[in-house]
Amino acid sequence: MAAGQLPPQLRQKLTSFAEFAFPAARAAREGREHHQLKSIGNELVSNLPLQMALYFNVFYFPFWLVTAIILLQLKFSSLDEFYKFITVTVYVVMVVVEIVRLYLGYLGNLQEKIPELAGFWLLTIVLQFPLSFFILFNEATMILPLERAIHIVMAIFVLFEVVCGYFAIKVMSSHQVTKFHLRQFDDLQYLDDGQTRWSTEA
Amino acid sequence: MATVNGIVPARFLTLIAHLIITINLYWTRRDNVEACLPETYTQDQYNQKDTELLVGLSLALAFAAVELAGFFTGISMFLPTVGMLSTAAHASAAVSLSYFVFEQWECDLYWWVFGFCSAFPLVVEIGAMIAILGFKKT
Repeated sequence: MAAGQLPPQLRQKLTSFAEFAFPAARAAREGREHHQLKSIGNELVSNLPLQMALYFNVFYFPFWLVTAIILLQLKFSSLDEFYKFITVTVYVVMVVVEIVRLYLGYLGNLQEKIPELAGFWLLTIVLQFPLSFFILFNEATMILPLERAIHIVMAIFVLFEVVCGYFAIKVMSSHQVTKFHLRQFDDLQYLDDGQTRWSTEA
Repeated sequence: MATVNGIVPARFLTLIAHLIITINLYWTRRDNVEACLPETYTQDQYNQKDTELLVGLSLALAFAAVELAGFFTGISMFLPTVGMLSTAAHASAAVSLSYFVFEQWECDLYWWVFGFCSAFPLVVEIGAMIAILGFKKT
């Protein structure tokens, strides 16, 4: 588990962001929400469309990167000085953010961890979303037709992951709240013997 | 149901490659249209050939969209035969259309590529959809 864990301070910050953006967790914790405790059994709450989008995005990313770099090299000498700097910066940031984002998305969705998924969603909506629309629509970077094509596909991926990620976090956090409520009953059930035992569920 | 081996990402990548080069052709079709007209041509002749190529490209985009819909909803994602045919067709489309752009083929040759590599996978895909949704054969 140690290898797949975020550092604790980052985890804390992301959890408080998740509670801010998806108030189900906080409201229930403060006791104001009347939850219908439906039976949850061993239901998986990993989001399938999000996982598919991440899977195919991982395969698409190297080809996008190679094509983008080759096209940038081809048009580099005819770019404005300012835009030479801007495009290189944007591509470097996008590559780093993409790798971290896809890793966090996989981890958060498959292992149903909310801080990782919140980190993924934050990175997608705050960084990738504006950046991919910038390189798609800013004509001053002399967009070549092939660039338009590859950036359109990338933008569609990012948009789809923003939408799916929102629903994934929402479902996952309300599921966690329900599990927390039900857990209280599990902890109490051993008190009848006269000895208190802690529940041994994971 | 066959496990995800390599065919699912391969099919996805070849489909996307075909899609990308079709979108690319949309902006660079001028050279190809001029290649299939005589030395001196009128604007009307140009417009006619241009519209034909545009229609072909749009149809290819629409067919690819239908095939992607069938693929992503899982209907044909795990059928190995459909996957193989689709991968082969779209891979040859991506290669042929790359030649189409670089070598500036005549615009009439596009219909050959369209027939084998856009229409054929669509027919296979629709057949798979009918078989699964209509006759309920898993």
